[in-house]
Amino acid sequence: MRKFFLLLTTFITITASAQTKSILLMNGIAHLGTDSVIQNSYIGIKNGKITEVIDASKTKVELGNYDEKIDATGKHIYPGIISPNSTLGLIEMESIRATSDFKEVGSTLPNVRSLIAYNTDSKIISTVRTNGVLLAQITPRGGIISGTSSIVKLDGWNWEDAAYKIDDGIHLNWPKMQIRKYLDEDNIYPGPYEKNKNYTKQTADLKKLFFDAKAYNETEVVEEKNLRFEAMKGLFNGTQTLFIHTDNAKEIIEAVNFSKQNGIKKTTVVGGKDSWMVTDLLRENYISVIVARVHSLPEHPEDDVNLPYKLPYLLQQAGVLFCLDNSGDMEAMETRNLPFMAGTAAAYGLTKEQALKAITLSTAKILGIDNSTGSIEAGKDATLFISTGDVLDMRTNNVELAFIKGISIDLNNDQKKLYEKYKKKYDLK
Amino acid sequence: MKNLVTLVFTLLIGCFSLAQETFPVNGTTNPNHTVYAFTNAKIIVDADETIDNATLLIKDGIIIQVGTKVSIPKGSVIFDLKGKSIYPALIDAYTNYGMPENKTIYKGMLPQMGSNTKGAYGWNQAVKAETEAFKIFAGNNLSADEFRKLGFGAVLTFQKDGIVRGSGTIVSLADGKENLLILSDKAAALFSFDKGCSTQDYPSSLMGTIALIRQTYLDADWYKNQTPLASRRETGGEVNISLEAFNNLQMLPQIFETTDKFNVLRADKIGKEFKINYIIKGSGTEYQSLDDIKATNCKFIIPLNFPIAYDVEDPYDAINVSLTELKHWEMAPANPVAMEKYFIPFALTTADLKDKKDFWKNLRKAISYGLSEKQALRSLTSTPAELLNISDKLGKLKSGMIANFIITSGNLFDEKTIIYENWIQGNPYKINDYSTIDVRGNYDFAYGNKRLYQLKIEGEPDKLKGYILIDTAKTPVNVIVFGNSVSLNFNPKDMKGTIRLSGTINTESLTMNGKGQTPDGEWLDWSATFKLITEIKKESVKKDSVKKDVLKYGQVIYPFCAYGKPLNDRDGFNKIIYDLKTRYDAILIKHVTVWTNESEGVLKNQDVYITEGRIVRIADDIGAPKLAFAKVIDGTGKHLTAGIIDEHSHIAIANGVNESTQASSSEVRIGDVINPEDINIYRQLSGGVTTSQLLHGSSNPIGGQSALIKLRWGKSPEEMKFAKADGFIKFALGENVKQSNAGDFSTLRFPQTRMGVEQVYYDYFTRAKEYDAKQKSFEALSEKVKATTTPFRRNLELEALAEILNQKRFITCHSYVQSELNMLMHVADSMGFKVNTFTHILEGYKVADKMKSHGAGASSFSDWWAYKMEVQDAIPYNAALLTQMGITTAINSDDAEMGRRLNQEAAKSVKYGGMSEEDALKMVTLNPAKLLHIDKKVGSIKVGKDADVVLWSDNPLSIYAKVEKTIIDGHIYYDTEEDLKLRQEIQKERARIIQKMLDEKKTGAATQKPVVKKQKLYECESIEKEYLREN
Repeated sequence: MRKFFLLLTTFITITASAQTKSILLMNGIAHLGTDSVIQNSYIGIKNGKITEVIDASKTKVELGNYDEKIDATGKHIYPGIISPNSTLGLIEMESIRATSDFKEVGSTLPNVRSLIAYNTDSKIISTVRTNGVLLAQITPRGGIISGTSSIVKLDGWNWEDAAYKIDDGIHLNWPKMQIRKYLDEDNIYPGPYEKNKNYTKQTADLKKLFFDAKAYNETEVVEEKNLRFEAMKGLFNGTQTLFIHTDNAKEIIEAVNFSKQNGIKKTTVVGGKDSWMVTDLLRENYISVIVARVHSLPEHPEDDVNLPYKLPYLLQQAGVLFCLDNSGDMEAMETRNLPFMAGTAAAYGLTKEQALKAITLSTAKILGIDNSTGSIEAGKDATLFISTGDVLDMRTNNVELAFIKGISIDLNNDQKKLYEKYKKKYDLK
Repeated sequence: MKNLVTLVFTLLIGCFSLAQETFPVNGTTNPNHTVYAFTNAKIIVDADETIDNATLLIKDGIIIQVGTKVSIPKGSVIFDLKGKSIYPALIDAYTNYGMPENKTIYKGMLPQMGSNTKGAYGWNQAVKAETEAFKIFAGNNLSADEFRKLGFGAVLTFQKDGIVRGSGTIVSLADGKENLLILSDKAAALFSFDKGCSTQDYPSSLMGTIALIRQTYLDADWYKNQTPLASRRETGGEVNISLEAFNNLQMLPQIFETTDKFNVLRADKIGKEFKINYIIKGSGTEYQSLDDIKATNCKFIIPLNFPIAYDVEDPYDAINVSLTELKHWEMAPANPVAMEKYFIPFALTTADLKDKKDFWKNLRKAISYGLSEKQALRSLTSTPAELLNISDKLGKLKSGMIANFIITSGNLFDEKTIIYENWIQGNPYKINDYSTIDVRGNYDFAYGNKRLYQLKIEGEPDKLKGYILIDTAKTPVNVIVFGNSVSLNFNPKDMKGTIRLSGTINTESLTMNGKGQTPDGEWLDWSATFKLITEIKKESVKKDSVKKDVLKYGQVIYPFCAYGKPLNDRDGFNKIIYDLKTRYDAILIKHVTVWTNESEGVLKNQDVYITEGRIVRIADDIGAPKLAFAKVIDGTGKHLTAGIIDEHSHIAIANGVNESTQASSSEVRIGDVINPEDINIYRQLSGGVTTSQLLHGSSNPIGGQSALIKLRWGKSPEEMKFAKADGFIKFALGENVKQSNAGDFSTLRFPQTRMGVEQVYYDYFTRAKEYDAKQKSFEALSEKVKATTTPFRRNLELEALAEILNQKRFITCHSYVQSELNMLMHVADSMGFKVNTFTHILEGYKVADKMKSHGAGASSFSDWWAYKMEVQDAIPYNAALLTQMGITTAINSDDAEMGRRLNQEAAKSVKYGGMSEEDALKMVTLNPAKLLHIDKKVGSIKVGKDADVVLWSDNPLSIYAKVEKTIIDGHIYYDTEEDLKLRQEIQKERARIIQKMLDEKKTGAATQKPVVKKQKLYECESIEKEYLREN
């Protein structure tokens, strides 16, 4: 592995801006992200795009004119993994307030945009792409409408440079039907749940906001500029997705009906722990689901102990479009474990290729970027990586080489550096 | 007009007022020594003795005589109670009647380290041994009346505030001056696990509460044996009102309030330590753990607080009602009969009822579930009297006892029975306003010149309903009885308007007659003659069949939650006590790949035979087992490993994982608060975990004592403990102990810096050394000398630290950065102890050489970082580096979710640092066993070791590996096939009870809304604020 590294240093560019040399990946086992695998593949990359994907067992390969040829015999090639609903780059150290930039004050903030706070130099990012995660949807949190997300490449000089799809969607936290009351006067120690007395008002307010925003955006001459309404324009013309964050079955039903009533073109449920109970509704209304962290405990003691592991399979069986996220405790640093969430989904019902799709092509579809990324197909971005083994299993996940838009990215990180430093101190191999 | 009786007392309450010897009189004195005779009554002397046609004679509030041959002195007032019954008045052994209200003061966010009680009291505000209920008791006729209406004559009352609540007093429920109402001034000592209104921070957890109670017993004992008060000042002794009072409480019956069945066991454990058999105030959940409850040998005071049904019409909402709640709703009324069947002595109380008026309804429900009427009566009369040492005065109708009794229309427990009178200390209190005569019944009725009709009068005595029956037609009649007068109003079918009748009731001839007016104003005569009918029998038959229906309720499952199992299908309550010696499983696993963790490494195609809880044989081909009941499992293509051991877990802990209020809490013990009903035990089993070390949190430098459990799902807290394991204690360093992330108000408790942390250790260990020396020299004294020496005060906190110095307790220390690791090793080296394990230890790789020479082990996370400042240099290569440096390294969870994927966490070291797969697996099996000093018993697959093994579908380090079977002590505790069955059973059982709830709601019963419940998951930093306030 060491040797390989040395060989590659010749063309690894640290945070480069455009691919200059063309590359051919030869003889690798290509997992396309589409559900299919090519056991002996030839993948050509030029100008940041995949130019050809050839199954050597079916088609005779003509080694065209490539600047670099990389032998991937026995190795696995995957499309870059996409982390949806992520706060990567918005938070550095959970307990330190100064490092937190994902939650703005206020409850209705569609105009608040995550992209401009995205820190390309977050030390966490370099530890994440090391495991094959190469794109992320940077998502604001909190309030009822948290703001607008953007999709970024996990390599870039600054947020402008990292941006992949700007302002892709608006995030709505569906009001909870039941909320916690607090045990103490300072609202610090949560107690038991109780009915949310403001639920009706909160949903009515939401309806009004959406009606008003729609009307505003249809008005020919706007009397006075409203930043919030303007930020929601894309929801009504289909250029943006409404991401509704909710887990509870009844809330999902309410949220889906809400989206229908308001003529939202594209809606995705985020979280969706109970989504398996309402699959008909989701399928019939073309609502996709970003499944909350697979490595979770079930919600109720009566639940199947493996329910979170099986949820992707249940949605797959029901024909609902879904992908996997990694939101939750310590989510930024845990992003590097996203491939293993898919691995678990494969252990509990999905095929390995279906599981891979749930963190690549399906994610791209849900985020509206599948035209250019999410799978290894000619014409798409050359955002992919090579692992010596099955990337969904921590036992074999070992990413040697990764490209974002054809540019090989630096897979080193501070943690590896510390490791090397102390190995040296103790004189270990 | 059956049972016509007029008990019209012309002597009113004023005349009965109890004489107050020492009080001046305003006006003329009114001495009264009238003798009252109640004749021809059925007298229920107690649950076991009934005398028919008997007389009760009372004078001056005392029973003079009871029996059939009572001679009534001349000049007695005689009440003829023909057809009536007299019962001893009921006793409630657990009330707060007449007590001042508890005032909760909000103290704000700042910590309160000491007690706010002014004066020479003890150090903890929640120990209120000095409270004496009889001194603060103030009678309250309104609340007394609530009790009297139910038939109660006397109650134990106390101030429900604090962990030690002082003494309770027995008072009569009569109306009058308190001086004469108190029947026993100091009747019982009261305890609880609830700190009540105390604003002091300590204790903030259940385990802290238990430690506080234990230390209080020790302190009180020491205080008792101190030098006499007078010479104390010279010897440096102290005056302590709380401890003095605590000692004085010891001669009383000791009552301990509990809020669930496991708290009963916890209270009992304290009791046994100090040679006390508490009377337990139960919670109504005792039936869920009867064997353990019975084994305490305690007596009980049991509430009748049966839960009301939930609104389960909406299936999505109904999901939020847990199986535990559903089953408890169905089974709670069976609690008293369960206790009766198990011969556990118990009194019944109105305590915990939201509305006291539900008392009779619920008691009758309990009877319909099978509670015998005899037991019910005993539990409300003689048993509470015996528990409170007042059976010479209360609870029976015997001469010399206090004249507390009730007069009823019949069997007290019959739904139709009316309590007429409640006599307390010889004073009558009317329950139903029956100057009213009971006129209910069937009559031949005639008015004017009309023919004979049937008149039926029914309903409650104060809400009568009447009907005139003409063939099948019913004409409603408005019936009003006042004194001896009766008025009837009705609209006859053949007349427009209302006929109004007024008449007199003749109780001798069982007739009513008088005059009335027609709608036209014409006067007429009317009469009604009572007649006996046989209708009643039919009703009672119906009732019996209802009873049988109610009795169909599910079985107790162990544990009492989802994925629990009934242990016996014959009786709803029986639990088989598992005796490993006589009942064991035998399992033969064939053709399996065995990860031995021994020098043999990974062996392919092996047979492993397990029986009597041990691994008996590992060989190529073992053949068929000799034991007929042995289970044979085909392990082809599967992997067998030792059970996973989680060195750092916070599952299965009740009410608080941190006693965070002081820099040291070495006196608290997780072992006191094991919660065997945490669903996460089952979930960990599904991930192959067989042993978990339950650790105290990390909020103070010296935390609490750990508990080591095997995940024996369905067993009691004590049965879960890993037998004969070494004791451990949690220490902690860094941000948590200096409260860096605990908010802006947490800046008072020492230490606030890493500098202070060091000093905490030096200070405590210096004191512990001195303590240890003192204790050893005291123990060395002869008994004679001991008796004359100032007694040694046992200090639970220092005792635990002395155990560390004596290598009897071992440290697991929460730690992150290299500076603090270095510091603690220096402290340890200089004070003469070792740090057994550094846990978390994310910067361990920076001081691996120092750890090696100190001899510490490591228990770490695989890849966590970036959640706080002190983990910024955490690297996923840590475990691999430490292992390479020769340090015993484990991977732990500190998290209920990750706890069931520890095999995957271990596998990450294959990825980060290139560890061998065998070494990686050892990090969650053999290495933690070594760190916990249990590697002789568990941690590898070796003949003779405990049969704690896991069968995996795949290479255990692979993400695709699933647990198929988790075996502990040779018993299968998790099995994928059985899991599926259990899920189906849960669904069936839920559906059954939900249908029953819906039926109950249709009858108009009260219901409650289901609410979402999220289990509190503990990790190191979890701090529970006033956890008991939720109760």
